[in-house]
Amino acid sequence: MTAHRIMPRTRFLFVLAAGAAVVLAACGGAGESGTAGDARSGRLTIGVAFETLQTEFWVAAWNALQARAAERQITLLEAVSDGDPAKQLDQVRTFLTRRADGIILVPKDGKTVIPMIKAANAAGVPIVLLNRPADATDAAHTVVAPDNATITRDTVAYLIQQARRSNPRVKAAILVGDLSDVNAVGRRDGFEAAVADAGGSVDVVARIPTDWNQEKALAGLQTALQAHPDIGLIFSSSDFMFPSVKSVLSAAGRWKKAGEPGHVVLGGFDGDATAWRLMVDGYVDATGVQDVFFEVDAALRAILDATQGRIPPPRIADPGFVLTQANRASLEARTWGAIVAKQGQ
Amino acid sequence: MTRDPSPIVLRLLNLTPVLLLGVVLLLFGLQSNRFLSGEHLSGLLAQAAPLLVVATGMTFVLLTGGVDLSVGAVMFVGAALAGRLALDGHSLAFCAAVMLGVGLAGGLVNALLVTRLRLVAFVATLATLYIGRGLGRWISETRALNLPDDFNALASTTWLHVPVPVWIAGTITVAAQAVLSGTPFGRRLYAVGADREAARKAGFDTGRLLAAVYVICGGCAGLGGVLALAQLGAVSPRFGELYEFDAITAAVLGGTSLFGGRGRVLPGTVVGAVLLKTIFSGLVMAHANPYAYALITSAIIFVAVLLDSLRHRVLRGLARRVIRLEPAGQRDA
Repeated sequence: MTAHRIMPRTRFLFVLAAGAAVVLAACGGAGESGTAGDARSGRLTIGVAFETLQTEFWVAAWNALQARAAERQITLLEAVSDGDPAKQLDQVRTFLTRRADGIILVPKDGKTVIPMIKAANAAGVPIVLLNRPADATDAAHTVVAPDNATITRDTVAYLIQQARRSNPRVKAAILVGDLSDVNAVGRRDGFEAAVADAGGSVDVVARIPTDWNQEKALAGLQTALQAHPDIGLIFSSSDFMFPSVKSVLSAAGRWKKAGEPGHVVLGGFDGDATAWRLMVDGYVDATGVQDVFFEVDAALRAILDATQGRIPPPRIADPGFVLTQANRASLEARTWGAIVAKQGQ
Repeated sequence: MTRDPSPIVLRLLNLTPVLLLGVVLLLFGLQSNRFLSGEHLSGLLAQAAPLLVVATGMTFVLLTGGVDLSVGAVMFVGAALAGRLALDGHSLAFCAAVMLGVGLAGGLVNALLVTRLRLVAFVATLATLYIGRGLGRWISETRALNLPDDFNALASTTWLHVPVPVWIAGTITVAAQAVLSGTPFGRRLYAVGADREAARKAGFDTGRLLAAVYVICGGCAGLGGVLALAQLGAVSPRFGELYEFDAITAAVLGGTSLFGGRGRVLPGTVVGAVLLKTIFSGLVMAHANPYAYALITSAIIFVAVLLDSLRHRVLRGLARRVIRLEPAGQRDA
């Protein structure tokens, strides 16, 4: 029995092992770049660890970091932890072992990042958190993050103003993000603040928790629209859920451009390529934009300052901006989604 | 002294998941008169259609004592590929066929890992989950792929006032249950799940049976992906994420055992999937606090699993009594 039956399995195992080796090699190449020698060659070396590259925003930030670092002749050590804080801690330790001059980190959450900050502090290496702050800690670090609540409040205030043009009393729905994500909570708070500012003219009939899941957004919004067919304003806590909004409104015959009868006033947050295209087409009224280029520049500047003996501030706020149909043309160059949309054409 | 179980009691015990779904529907129906409307129920079933199909495939795997954690990733790879093809101008039918093919191929890879390399299903499919998500991101370049409007046609078309995805999901689930309860293949799956070694000794080709369920599960993931994509009209980098857990939850809620050998697609898994969607939809209609969703959903799941556990304990007890028949004189005394 054995000889001719074992051989195919051995060959199969060999092929599989070879394949796995190729995949692992490819993963290694994608995960980190730069050489150990870079850290001692006189060029500044910065370790960059992202929690994920799962959305256009993170990819845009990643690309912007690479471009800005290349302009300044900075070597980047790159790593992605795929949502695993333990893996990210290992990546930070690797950066420190490789004598990085600074670390830029996109953490998974505010709690698990604290040991990473402390490890960097112990090694005397400056660390900057990009876009997501840490929980309260006395460990030294700099956060560059948007003021989600303020940008959202301004965006929603604009949306309410638009909606009230056709109806003084507005029924609104919000697609809430993942409530364990500080950014989602900030956006929810900004939405509620704008509604409160509107002084009772807005009736929020659905607060739909999506967990950043398009299918939940679709299901929740479909149900909300069946319960309240006269919803006049929808705010999506992230632009990437607009396709779900479009699907639901199309099925209900309410996917209309601004100015057309039956138009539902739509707004979001991020300023991604989908939102940009829908704004150009006239369906989305406004979106709060995180200024990814500002955030990347500020993060690099903070590291450079620290390496030159200047203490960077603990928090650098990305003021962001509200992109509306009125200012769209003038803010196109600052809108990262517009650039991504053009690259995708 | 023991009594034979009344057929009504047995029937009620077996219908516990259905009864629970009925209670949940009734409770939410009391909250809002629109909840039990035909329009809403039809929409609810359409929302559940992709999960119904994926959970059906998952039920096959669970029945054998295995698990497939890669279904969401397989959906993503298929959708990313189909999205690319659709944007290049290929037809909806071709894209759907590609997604189905990707699903079957993903299932075949899992089947090889589990049956040829003898990897534990959890580990093998966890690996393909990560590979799949990486592959999908690579294909989509982590960009949202917004598909042409005609891609939504499948989801928005109705036949006899029922959305086409519901017909597709209904056909799949009925066919799956027919295979499970009406064919030697189905009965062998239960045997493999109950005791793999005994099934092997009985002469069943357990390797082929296991391979078949992973291919079926992959195919269902591909088809579920088609239905989900038709509803969303876009592929985001999170497409299909955590779908495996919803599919497993739906199957378990419907009475499928995680240890194999026990479970049904109809009514079991179907009820589980619809129950999950009903809870979410009901909470939206009741305008519940977003923080309450997880609490209420987990409480209902807990009750469902508890009732299922009690049901099986009672049924086991009843079965034991039937086996140990007492002398007629004593029973009558």
